[in-house]
Amino acid sequence: MYMEINNLMFSYSNSSSKTVDNFSFSVEKGEVISMLGRSGSGKSTFLRLIAGLEMPSGGSFTLNGKKMFCEDTFIHPEKRGIGMVFQDYALFPHMSVEDNIIFGLPKMSRKEKIKRAGEVLELVELTGFEKRYPHQLSGGQQQRVALARAIAPEPELILLDEPFSNLDTDLQVKIRGDLRRILKKAKTTAIFVTHNQNDAHALADRIVKIKDGKIDKIGRPCDLLGVSPTEIPGMIEITYEELIGV
Amino acid sequence: MNKHLANVNGWTISAVLIIILLFSPNLSIVLGIFSPASDNWAHIKEFMLLKYIKTTLTLVFFTALFTISIGLSLAWLIAQYDFPLRNFMKWALILPLSIPPFIGAYTYHGIINYTGVIQKTLRNHFDITPNPAYFDIMNIPGAIFIYTLVLYPYVYMITRIFLSHQSASLIESARTLGKGPMEIFFRVVIPISRVSIIGGVSLVILEVLNDYGVVKYFGIQTFSTAIFQTWFGLGDLDSSIKLAASLMGIVIFILIIERLLRGGKQYSYSTTKVRPLPLVKLKGKKAVFATLYTVSIFSVAFLIPILQLIDWVILTFGKVPMEDVLLYTKNSITVAGLGAFLIIVFSLVVGNFGRLVKHKFAKVLPKLTVLGYSIPGVVVAVAVITTFITLDRFLAPFYQAIGIDSQLVLSVNLVMLISAYVIRFFAIGYNSIESGFDKIGTNFRDASRMLGANSLRTFFKIDVPMMKGAIISGFILVFVDILKEIPLTLILRPFNYDTLATKAFQYASDEKIMEASQASLLIVGVSTIAIFVFHKLLREEPK
Ligand SMILES: Nc1ncnc2c1ncn2[C@@H]1O[C@H](COP(=O)(O)OP(=O)(O)O)[C@@H](O)[C@H]1O
Ligand SMILES: [Mg+2]
Repeated sequence: MYMEINNLMFSYSNSSSKTVDNFSFSVEKGEVISMLGRSGSGKSTFLRLIAGLEMPSGGSFTLNGKKMFCEDTFIHPEKRGIGMVFQDYALFPHMSVEDNIIFGLPKMSRKEKIKRAGEVLELVELTGFEKRYPHQLSGGQQQRVALARAIAPEPELILLDEPFSNLDTDLQVKIRGDLRRILKKAKTTAIFVTHNQNDAHALADRIVKIKDGKIDKIGRPCDLLGVSPTEIPGMIEITYEELIGV
Repeated sequence: MNKHLANVNGWTISAVLIIILLFSPNLSIVLGIFSPASDNWAHIKEFMLLKYIKTTLTLVFFTALFTISIGLSLAWLIAQYDFPLRNFMKWALILPLSIPPFIGAYTYHGIINYTGVIQKTLRNHFDITPNPAYFDIMNIPGAIFIYTLVLYPYVYMITRIFLSHQSASLIESARTLGKGPMEIFFRVVIPISRVSIIGGVSLVILEVLNDYGVVKYFGIQTFSTAIFQTWFGLGDLDSSIKLAASLMGIVIFILIIERLLRGGKQYSYSTTKVRPLPLVKLKGKKAVFATLYTVSIFSVAFLIPILQLIDWVILTFGKVPMEDVLLYTKNSITVAGLGAFLIIVFSLVVGNFGRLVKHKFAKVLPKLTVLGYSIPGVVVAVAVITTFITLDRFLAPFYQAIGIDSQLVLSVNLVMLISAYVIRFFAIGYNSIESGFDKIGTNFRDASRMLGANSLRTFFKIDVPMMKGAIISGFILVFVDILKEIPLTLILRPFNYDTLATKAFQYASDEKIMEASQASLLIVGVSTIAIFVFHKLLREEPK
């Protein structure tokens, strides 16, 4: 398997319960996985563990044949080759769009870096925005720059934390489609986290449902959620919470 | 799994080392209490100690009282009312902070002594020769007057910010309940601003305890002057350590009282968006009174002394050779720049450690270093010199081995002075840096590491550029404080090394008041510019 997670455990030092309780699942290369769960269920924490930003208390995680952590290994986040799109994008405010993207590129000539930045900006349809600063972009544009920045170094895995939560509803639907196209075109393996089952349905090859820090179900969108509610005429968008009645 | 700790190990080690370095000299004072007492000490304890305590507490009490009265009334006027010149006064009333107390002291002495402008005018134009005793300010009330003038801005500043940002709903509801301004002031404003008043006045008190220049110039016996005298006059370092320890006891006592009065909770301006207090426009007599009141405080505390200094500079221009003034300026900038630079670097290391290490001790440890700012300069001087002499003794064999002839190397060097500055003013820089780190959070840092940058690259490429505002304002604050500093510099400077402050102080002490004006005006000028820049920075920073 391309990516394997076994018995992953974690709790915050100031909390007695387990925030991530015994997660195990595997992912194939190029697959887009969606993690679906209500807020506070531990989704962000899980992504931070995979990213290496938090230290798990047990379990193991292998990516593309490399051990990222197990009992005697802990690879630092900068050495993992994993990209991440943060919920608030975390674009560096003191750098232009181009410099934000170049920041993450491995050693190569300045010319090649600029070329690569141009490629990913084209992918997210932001050609011409190279010299802008983050505060000069709309929310949707910022989101796409964050995505471009994460994709540019060609990571082996990309993590997205609620990528649509800061966008207007109209924009969410459009960008959702774009995101799947971009991820598939870049052939990136991705895990994205959401509390919205429509997002999960529209984007994912497979869905991992989590509840109170535990994996509840894993399966294909149509098996877990049935027909997408947005495909039924006249049906309003409902969130996962409403769907499962919490 | 301790692997994660390895991540921050470099930071942790450096941060802990810095904290120990900053904190340990103060321990030498505490240890000094236990060393055997000399005859001097027995004498001091029996005849002098009580007097020092009484004088010191008198100065502290009345200065606190007057700074609260002036600071609070100004804060209230500016925060609630609109009147002619209000917008200018709002920040002009802070400016007296740029006048070091000893400069205020000798300037005022110069203004009102026998040859000063007031008595001269009375004699020459009105033919009045008043009893000179009326014009003596070189006493305890005079010192309280000077302290009040240059220190009230602490109370004013902190209380005004609190009142303009935090009090709108409370004061408005009091107004709608039909309460008059006086009643609102005493029943609402004073109680709700208690915490900020205490915050401001504790700074005032610490400054009074720290002061050496005014009391020395006025010939008043307090702890600061006694420590200095016992040490240099009697050559009794042990006794001055004991005096320093007593003073430190008073400081700690005051800090504890402060905590208790604050009701145990740290005050913080809540981060939620707050509605500013809408201004009430004053009309007629009331407006005239408000303008007059603020203008007269500003004049007495800032304008008049500055005009007098300018007058003296013009009168004595060329009397002090230009190259001397340039040399003192260069020395001042060198030590203040070096000190501020080191403090900012250390603050960045310690602040980053406090942010990244998720352990309680990483939050508490940096707070220890803040003690340095509460401890009066003379005490820090005693602590640092004791430590450096010990260090020199310890290193003596090493000096011999590498062929240095002298017994004392470190303790006669600029190194000692700069170290003392770093210990005393670390808290000023650290506060600024810490709030900078708080503001940027850890998200950008995480993002950077996910893009393959290691801890060090992240620090220089992301953290430092994003904290530019905090770094610059921290640097400015420390720089100005060092520029104005007197006791540490006087005691710890290398032989014949003069700064603007030490030179101004020496001239004034030798009654060469006019010669002192040039250096003084330079200090005040630079400080004023710094305060101005600082306010610009603060205002432009997005909330
Ligand atoms: N830094 C932290 N320290 C302690 N508890 C935390 C921290 N971050 C999150 N938590 C707690 O862990 C749980 C899971 O949080 P999170 O992973 O952010 O959930 P989600 O992203 O699914 O909304 C929540 O109960 C949250 O309060
Ligand atoms: Mg989350």
